[in-house]
Amino acid sequence: MGTIVTIHVLREGADVAIERAFGWFDEIERVCTRFSQSSELMQLTAQAGVAVPASPILYEAVQFARMLAEETGGAFDPTVGHRMAARGFNKEHRTGEIVRTDVVPEDDVSYRDVQLDPERKTILLRRTLTLDLGAVAKGLAVDAAARELEPFKDFAIDAGGDLYLGGLNPQGEPWSVGIRHPRRDDEMIDSVRVSNQAVCTSGDYERGQHILDPRNGSSTHAVASATVVASGAMLADALATAAFVLGPEDGIQLLNRMGVDGLIVTPDLNHYETRGLRHAA
Amino acid sequence: MAENSSNKKVANSLVAVSCAAVLAVYSAGYLRTRSAADRFEVQAAERRTAIPVPSEPAETVPVSEPAARLAPAAVSPTEVTDVRSSEPVEKPIVIASAETMPEPSSVSPVAVVEAPVPAPAPELTVKIAELAPPLPEHKIEIAAPALPPAPKWKDGTYLGWGTSRHGDIQAAVVIENGRIASATIAQCRTRYSCDVIDKLPPQVAQRQSPDVDYVSRATQSADAFYYAVVEALGKAKN
Repeated sequence: MGTIVTIHVLREGADVAIERAFGWFDEIERVCTRFSQSSELMQLTAQAGVAVPASPILYEAVQFARMLAEETGGAFDPTVGHRMAARGFNKEHRTGEIVRTDVVPEDDVSYRDVQLDPERKTILLRRTLTLDLGAVAKGLAVDAAARELEPFKDFAIDAGGDLYLGGLNPQGEPWSVGIRHPRRDDEMIDSVRVSNQAVCTSGDYERGQHILDPRNGSSTHAVASATVVASGAMLADALATAAFVLGPEDGIQLLNRMGVDGLIVTPDLNHYETRGLRHAA
Repeated sequence: MAENSSNKKVANSLVAVSCAAVLAVYSAGYLRTRSAADRFEVQAAERRTAIPVPSEPAETVPVSEPAARLAPAAVSPTEVTDVRSSEPVEKPIVIASAETMPEPSSVSPVAVVEAPVPAPAPELTVKIAELAPPLPEHKIEIAAPALPPAPKWKDGTYLGWGTSRHGDIQAAVVIENGRIASATIAQCRTRYSCDVIDKLPPQVAQRQSPDVDYVSRATQSADAFYYAVVEALGKAKN
């Protein structure tokens, strides 16, 4: 996933659980990466028109991504993979490896071309397309890791900005999480208090405008960063991506509808936030 | 009103799906991550049983082992840190963007030396004696180590390297009159500052042994230092 994963556990004796938690990142990356032809995801991509039995990781990730796509009217769409590649997001930034695929996707594919069979746990790509589970896989790994650490109650997982904060901080208070200023490095624009929640931010500042609007294939410009606080990192990360695409007003509306909290900062530094957002003092 | 409730239903189902997804993945995948945990447990056991018999330090733990065991496969470096004594609330965790690679320095691992110290040698010998009372010659044999036996090491300064997934540490061990006079970190090439284990080098001379404390959440660096001392003492062996 090209990220540094940091886990803090406040109690002693968590070594095995921590090792196991890290194991999830390897495992989910192995299944869901589009930067390896041998990953289960890319194997699926190569078999359009066939209902392919999927592992629980792939099935659940795709199912969630598809459902969110439906909910957001395609503002979040896991089938943008080929457009990402077409616009130069085909390089694995960790290894420099280029995505090589013989798959030539059709132009107008969308999440509707992904069909899931909940009984048989198969995934059928009705047309040739590339799935991009980037926004979902990392969050899923964080959530699985959080489950490993649940018995230890107070802990923090940071997977390159996808955070999950369990329990309380060392001072016995809800964790305080700073939200980075989208334009000024090393500065925070706000901070929130959370406990047993995930905090994820989608920003335009790290790697250029890497979030495309799946509905028209262009980069979005209305949002500088979108931060979501939710019960899990998969939900928070995916909703942050969707809110980023939707823009400040529709984005906040989506978050309200989903019953999660969030903060959207525009390029001119206007703040839009949900009512329930809990700011740190 | 009606719209609201229907929306709420969708939202709830999406939240429910995300929870169910995590549960399904976790339940199905538990077995897979067990291998990682088991590997870790075996290593921890090896590390624990490798209580240094000063005469055979080199054999106790192969120095190359940590490299083999870590194989961080696809995900780039990971680090376990401890936050118990880190910055207080005023300095919250800063979120980077979803794809960012924070500088290692942004995480400041804090050394917390765990209290339990490996049982001192005399206690061990007593235990052995109790376990094997019928063999008097063993008793004689184990009574001896209470006083340091003949020098195990040649005088001089010896260097050794220890590796970890976060980088390497070189230890310099000085032997005087057959005893460990001092041990220091000669080179710190770990991603994180060796300050996190700065309590460990003096322990080597105090204990006349490479068996330093575990450092919670800096176990990799502590192990690397341990391996480095073991290698250095291997070179000093008489």
